[in-house]
Amino acid sequence: MNHNRQSNDGKHDDDSALSDFLASLMDYTPTIPDELVEHYLAKSGFQCPDVRLIRLVAVATQKFVAEVANDALQHCKARQAAVVKDKREKQQKDKRLILTMDDLSKSLREYGVNVKQQEYFADSPSTGMDPATRDE
Amino acid sequence: MNNGCLENRKKEHDNSQKRPKSYKFGSKSDDFALAIAKVAVAQLCESVGFQGFHLSALETLSDISVRYIYSIGKTANLSANLAGRVEGNVFDIIHGLEDLGSNLGFSGASDVDRCAVSSGVVKDITHFVGVSDFIPFAYDVPRFPVVKESTKTGSFWEKEEDPPGEHIPSWLPAFPDPETYATRLSVENETMGVSNRKKTESELERVERKMDQSLLNLQLHFAHNENKGGSSHGSGYVATESNPYLAAPLHVGEKEVSPVVLPTKLSNEVALRNPVHVDVGNHVSVLETFAPAIEAMKSGLCDSDNGKKKLLYDQRPTVRFKIGIGKKSLGTISDFGSQNEEDLLKIASWFGNDNEKDDKKRRVEKILKESVESSKE
Repeated sequence: MNHNRQSNDGKHDDDSALSDFLASLMDYTPTIPDELVEHYLAKSGFQCPDVRLIRLVAVATQKFVAEVANDALQHCKARQAAVVKDKREKQQKDKRLILTMDDLSKSLREYGVNVKQQEYFADSPSTGMDPATRDE
Repeated sequence: MNNGCLENRKKEHDNSQKRPKSYKFGSKSDDFALAIAKVAVAQLCESVGFQGFHLSALETLSDISVRYIYSIGKTANLSANLAGRVEGNVFDIIHGLEDLGSNLGFSGASDVDRCAVSSGVVKDITHFVGVSDFIPFAYDVPRFPVVKESTKTGSFWEKEEDPPGEHIPSWLPAFPDPETYATRLSVENETMGVSNRKKTESELERVERKMDQSLLNLQLHFAHNENKGGSSHGSGYVATESNPYLAAPLHVGEKEVSPVVLPTKLSNEVALRNPVHVDVGNHVSVLETFAPAIEAMKSGLCDSDNGKKKLLYDQRPTVRFKIGIGKKSLGTISDFGSQNEEDLLKIASWFGNDNEKDDKKRRVEKILKESVESSKE
């Protein structure tokens, strides 16, 4: 009984926390615009007039993208550290952090998305060259 | 290497053009949304710490984020429908988020009796909102897709008109304004006069079809001409119309032909004035064969007189001789040497003795020789 009431209280807390969070979303504008989320939600068949829910999806997507990007960044940094170890003279040139398909596919694999680097689709004529001589 | 890359890219581009319309995330109409997603994802990447990106990586990530939104919506909609609702609520979305995050795992995922309210996913998101920086989207996004409002023709009732007949209920859409079809009626009256309505209608239809057909033919003709490069001038079509050389050849006697005025030298040898004489026993109508040649020669003479030969040759629209001279000329070329050498020399003098290898000129010469041949026979 006691335990039950406690969990009820907990639920009540969670309930209020959720409604507070949803209310706070009214003031928070995610980077992903509402219109975009609305468009794709409508495309998927989901319909809801509540802006807060659209914001919730936007924030969730933003979180997802940020996590993936962060992982890719770590991969990028690790790769660069390895390169620097090999070729110290190229150190300055490789300083810039660039989101590449290589790192992205590595980080996306952890999120259950299997993306392979498309070897033949070139960003620029210099893409096929040695990564060290590439300048972006 | 680079060429290979480019070719493959081109191939990819072609493939993207051939993609079926049902493809959700790559259709032409979706380009705008994808572009916005790309900007947003680029902003997020920048905020994370990236200083640059490869376009392919950015496109992939934006595509995946868009698919993420789409699958959240799909799952949420599924659970809403499963609960017998049309509109989704926050629990449906949380359910969708949990579904998508299930392979990563979240706190409390193992709890069977967990409540959607206290989901670890929501807590993560709440935490994220608290931690992350506030980056507004770089542009003002208009609401899309833009739905064009169709202008409806109101019903009789809405227009406050009385329907023309009692059998027409007032809730049916109103007739268009009478002036939109009144002119057609007047045309009918003018053309037919008779009040046989059915007949006039069919007649009108026929006329319209004919007009359409002719318009289509005109366009086809025009396109054809342009493709062939039949006339490289701007007024290509006009030239085709007014150019007598391109018209279908007339048969002898079909039309009164003005007598061809030849220079005296030539006319002494070639009795051309009487077309009947020329036509005797020839499979190829000599007049047909000859008229353009004479014309061309005449103009050539005039040109040489004026000293503007070259210019006029250039300006004249391309002349295509639709005359069946192929066999004939091949057959007769061998005979030239034996019989008509002086004739040929004289004819050649009309074209000037310069060794200019003009194709047109040679053709005209050939035709002329041939006709001289046949007339001699």
